[in-house]
Amino acid sequence: MDSNKKYWKGLEELQQTPAFVEKSKQEFAEPIPVEDVLNEAGLSTKTPRRDFLKALGFGLGAVTLAACNRTPIHKAVPYVIKPEEITPGVPNFYASSFNGQSVLVRTREGRPISITANPNSVGLSQGTDATTSAAVLDLYDMSKLQNPQIGGKDVEWADLDKTVIAALNKAASAGKQISIVSNTVNSPSTLAAIESFKSKYPTANHVQVDAVSYSGIIEANKLSLGKAVIPSYHFDQANVVVSVAADFLGTWLSGEEHTQDYVKNRDSKSLKSGKMSRHIQFESGLSMTGSNADVRIAIKPSEEGAVLISLFNAITGQSVSGGVTNKKAQTAITLAAKELITNRGNAVVVAGSNDVNIQLLTNAINSALGAYGSIIDLDNFSKQYQGSDADFQQFLASANAGQIGVAFFLNTNPFYDYIKADDVTAALAKVEFTLSFSDRADETASVLKAIAPTSSFLESWGDSSSKEGYYTIVQPTINPVFNTRQADQSLLVWAGSTTNIYEFVKENWEANVLAGTGKVWNDVLQSGFIYKGTDSGSSYSANVDVNAVSAAILTLSKAIAGEVELKLYEPSGLRDGRYANNAFLQELPDPVSKVTWDNYAALNPRFAEELGVGENDKVKVEANGYAIELPVVLQPGQALGTVSIALGYGRTKVGKAGNEVGQNAFPFARFANGSKQLESKATVTKASGTYQLAQTQTHHTIEGRNIVRETTFAKYLKDPNSESGRFADTHKTYDLWNKFESPGHKWVMAIDLNACTGCGSCIVACSVENNVPVVGRDEVRRRREMHWLRIDRYYTLETSEGKLTKEKEIAKADAYDYEDVTVVHQPMLCQHCDHAPCETVCPVLATVHSSEGLNHMAYNRCFGTRYCANNCPYKVRRFNWFNYWNDSRFDNYLNNEFTQLVLNPDVTTRSRGVMEKCSMCIQRIQAGKLQAKVENRKLKDGDVQMACQQACSANAIIFGDVNDPDSEVSKALRNERVYYVLEEINVQPNIGYMTKVRNTFEA
Amino acid sequence: MRNVSSVLGKLAKTMSISLMLLFAVTMAHAQDIKEGQTLFKSKCTTCHAVSKKVVGPALAGMSERHPEEWLVSWIHNSQAMIAAGDETAVRLFEENNKLVMTSFTDLSEDQIKNIIAYVKDEEAKAAAGPAEGTAGGAGAAESEGANTLMILGLVAVVVLAIAIIVVLNRVIRSLEKIIATNQAAIEAAEAANTGYQESRFSKFAKAFVKNKKLVGFTVLLFVVLLSFAGWNTLWNVGVHQGYEPVQPIKFSHQIHAGANQIDCQYCHGGAFKSKNASIPSANVCMNCHNTVTASDHYDGEISPEIAKIYNAVDFDPETRTYGDNTSPIEWVRVHNLPDFAYFNHSQHVVVAGVECQTCHGPVETMEEIYQYSPLTMKWCVECHKATEVDSDNAYYDQLIQAHEKLKKGEKMTAAMIGGLECGKCHY
Repeated sequence: MDSNKKYWKGLEELQQTPAFVEKSKQEFAEPIPVEDVLNEAGLSTKTPRRDFLKALGFGLGAVTLAACNRTPIHKAVPYVIKPEEITPGVPNFYASSFNGQSVLVRTREGRPISITANPNSVGLSQGTDATTSAAVLDLYDMSKLQNPQIGGKDVEWADLDKTVIAALNKAASAGKQISIVSNTVNSPSTLAAIESFKSKYPTANHVQVDAVSYSGIIEANKLSLGKAVIPSYHFDQANVVVSVAADFLGTWLSGEEHTQDYVKNRDSKSLKSGKMSRHIQFESGLSMTGSNADVRIAIKPSEEGAVLISLFNAITGQSVSGGVTNKKAQTAITLAAKELITNRGNAVVVAGSNDVNIQLLTNAINSALGAYGSIIDLDNFSKQYQGSDADFQQFLASANAGQIGVAFFLNTNPFYDYIKADDVTAALAKVEFTLSFSDRADETASVLKAIAPTSSFLESWGDSSSKEGYYTIVQPTINPVFNTRQADQSLLVWAGSTTNIYEFVKENWEANVLAGTGKVWNDVLQSGFIYKGTDSGSSYSANVDVNAVSAAILTLSKAIAGEVELKLYEPSGLRDGRYANNAFLQELPDPVSKVTWDNYAALNPRFAEELGVGENDKVKVEANGYAIELPVVLQPGQALGTVSIALGYGRTKVGKAGNEVGQNAFPFARFANGSKQLESKATVTKASGTYQLAQTQTHHTIEGRNIVRETTFAKYLKDPNSESGRFADTHKTYDLWNKFESPGHKWVMAIDLNACTGCGSCIVACSVENNVPVVGRDEVRRRREMHWLRIDRYYTLETSEGKLTKEKEIAKADAYDYEDVTVVHQPMLCQHCDHAPCETVCPVLATVHSSEGLNHMAYNRCFGTRYCANNCPYKVRRFNWFNYWNDSRFDNYLNNEFTQLVLNPDVTTRSRGVMEKCSMCIQRIQAGKLQAKVENRKLKDGDVQMACQQACSANAIIFGDVNDPDSEVSKALRNERVYYVLEEINVQPNIGYMTKVRNTFEA
Repeated sequence: MRNVSSVLGKLAKTMSISLMLLFAVTMAHAQDIKEGQTLFKSKCTTCHAVSKKVVGPALAGMSERHPEEWLVSWIHNSQAMIAAGDETAVRLFEENNKLVMTSFTDLSEDQIKNIIAYVKDEEAKAAAGPAEGTAGGAGAAESEGANTLMILGLVAVVVLAIAIIVVLNRVIRSLEKIIATNQAAIEAAEAANTGYQESRFSKFAKAFVKNKKLVGFTVLLFVVLLSFAGWNTLWNVGVHQGYEPVQPIKFSHQIHAGANQIDCQYCHGGAFKSKNASIPSANVCMNCHNTVTASDHYDGEISPEIAKIYNAVDFDPETRTYGDNTSPIEWVRVHNLPDFAYFNHSQHVVVAGVECQTCHGPVETMEEIYQYSPLTMKWCVECHKATEVDSDNAYYDQLIQAHEKLKKGEKMTAAMIGGLECGKCHY
């Protein structure tokens, strides 16, 4: 049974705009000038024989000369004294941690080349988020400082220490405050270092502030539950999840860990046992989480409170005033409340707002649902965000009052991310000595008096504790590349301590963490973490004055309600701007809009039409006395009368890759009820000029073919085969080619569309593993992105009258408001077809099939006809238009000797003019096989893991040998939901997809 | 006269007897020293030299310092003596930083005595130092003399050459005079000659040009030869078989792998674990060259090549200490595979059991290492086509079961299990 639902990738495709239609007909996005040459003067003009011969002679001579360089002499320089643990050519793994997640860092000959999750860890143990995979590139960032600086001039550490200590002593003797302003510090050792600093300078204090703040939650929990913490969420315990504007699978708290848990109730194993959670999302912009929801209702930011009030009323039967008036939302709330009540104890409501009152009301609802304990864990609480907006306000006030003598800034950049940078400038002008620990002269560091550059986490000793009772170690994997010193070491030096940071961390662990666990320091260096907490928390009951809170919520809602409302959000790549100079993350398409290298104003297409703006137009957004001009993205799913803008862009002093990319949206944020909030009233007007965003959205169109399959949970329960529509079940196929034998292994993959959230972590992991170049905004605009793996995002329209399913109804789409769309994410990569169409058209046999079912690509054989890309039904082949590794046009990305150290030495870098594509991480397959051969054993399932698979916390990608009937992938492919994309053309792809299942109300 | 003859006879007798005696004595003595020398070289030189401190103290004068019996027992088992509390032994042990001397219980008393005799003999030679010194000086003078001789010789050759030139010039001049006088006659003769020759040559040329088949054949021959040469040249572009660059250290595999039979794995352990065979780091060299200085070949000085290792690791052989000023040895890479080809040593050495020499040639006979194999893809492929897979390896079990060829009892080569597929080496 074929689905009759129509999927589309972008509005152009849905509306079949003339430009789109024309482009979709072409093999390559850009016209190729062959015809111009033929039609114009080209061949019709006579080339004089002499000119021809001259050109020929010159060409021949030039080529000969160019080829006549001497074979370079290669040096082989061994170690002088080889470290015992290193065998050149064999990677070493070190347990470390990044952002509180226990990770394994792979190093080759002493240089870190990739970061993967520590599979033995508690919490997030499978998969990393995109920023973690990409973090290895930050180590090799050329924009970092190479020496400490005073007043913008390089100095020696001894000089800097002298200056700092003098300033500290002066401040201390004058009785002035010494402030250390940082983002959340949960590292026990750094905290201990700060303590020892404080004991040397008693006027010192530590202020924590996060650019994207969660202080509203902390405050609400303090008020209603008596615990000033952010809880941990265990979504695996939740059968019903209602999220009000919380992007909990993306950037909200620890999205990746939530994903890992959330998917456990939705993946193939859960479906097999007849279980699937229901997820209802209320939000204004279409977030990644919203795109995965079973039911999504578009609301304005000012309605968030009202939705929660209605939900509270529906659950508790009370009638607090101020409920939502939006019809669609009302219906959804009634249904959601019923679900929540029936699943009491296994249901949870999360809210993304940073307003204390909204969070208080959420606590009241969760308390009524009995979510505290198993799902919301206040005992093993999260320590990821402890920043207090109020504390930072206090710091600015003290500075303004001239009470602060010295201010240090650690991992914080208020000149960029504070609401009003001018306030910070004015306040800091009254501080005698200011210093930043930033690794680069960023917006803040460059205006301060001194910079004491800290080392990267890959060069440092340290630790972190992202959750109560959970401690992870940070151990260096390389010596500091530049003349940097980690911040905690600097603090110790200034506190007069001579302790080496390694000794300090070790002693701190032995005294405070390891005591009583029966483990020693060396155990931790090997395992990477210690967990002293429990699996779930105890039950709590929130004490909330609902009426007072609701009244406060309504006041807040009024303040932000308007014709147009603005919602700021943290993007999954750059986050709060920290990773702005990471080229991998800049080029990672947004999970929903598929925009790279820019932020933009996301508007509902219908609303944009009202404003008179279209694709490529620019709008001026004004709010809170700040205005910027941004390009428009027509975003289906966006609530009418709202605009969403990503934070983290518009940095000016971050480095070659990230400078002047997009616009800074932080000044749009506002303070309310003591916390930084990301919603506000705004005006949007059309601005002059156009701007083409680098979007990967419709780059690889699929011409309306039936390649995504979707069913509902109810249908699935009746018939697990439903909607999977396997072609082979109903059709007899005939082969032109002989069957391809794979007597040994046959490598295949199974991708669960129901697990994939579209986060894009796999894309970055793939790029890191396979040396996939970053091409930059201009090249993406020309549709030349090189990602071997992309995640296609398909929209379907939904209306209150039911889904717009039939083709003819699509034509009516104009009449709908584009608020109700559903989304399917489909990772698309080389399908390694057994009867691969690319192979038959290659004139030089550069791409051929292997006996293990892989489609090999021999780069050195390819001479770039691009026939294969033309003939690939999946459009997964990528052509190298440049020598990205050695071309001055790509200087700001990876074209320098230092940054190139990030390259995986087991994978060739491709040169200009050759085709490339997913190799199924063949280097890993070969390495895995070799290991088995050396150990004289059979290859076990799981010995070989793909980079994308390792990065996927949803376990959506399963790889293995289908010739082994007991392998995970064999089991997965026997699932009823499995179908093959474009199976009907009988190219026999080796990647099976599992039908998306949606647990909708209608069913 | 009789008297004279009898006196002479007596003299001859005594002389011959004494000569015989002398000979016998020297014979016996030489025997001892020779055996001592062999034993000394094989057992002692690692740690000792006669006249200078190596690891252990210099041995010169040991016979004066200690009675022979004591020495024998010390060499036999010094630790036992120390344990027994022998005063001298303990003192010696203390003096030498408690370095334990290897026990040589396998040596007989006579053998040890021979060694002592050898040392004594060497000592005596050294004692004749001044004399030897002068001898050496004479030798040096001699060699200098040789140099002057060579220079003189060269001068003589030059002078001779000049003389020859002068003489030849004279001859030429006189011949020219003769030509001048007989000009007319010579010209006439030449004219007759050339006329004859020209006609012969042009006849042949004309005949050749007229014969189109011959011309065609010649052209074809040229084309074939040129294309053959071109083809061969092109095939060998980038093939560096026989490449033998000058290395920063004159390292001889012939000495190490050949004469001393050091296993390849000792230095190139990576070949068994990794894709890289890896060039040993200098600390591996130091495992032996810590003591092996080859000074016996360099008049007691450390070999200048070994000194380069010391320089790299910043090792001071006098004080036997390491400094911090290290600098890696920059070898010139001999075997260069292009970046797009992945080659893993352990796959070939451990899994396939290929001998190092199969690809690297008779390394143990190479004075300087050179590229033995062409390292072309054709060469790889040929081997993969011929090499049988080790069916004892459990990894291959499944493949072997599945493989049709094997069921028929044919052999399974690397090529049959995908060893020729592009992606096996190119990724």
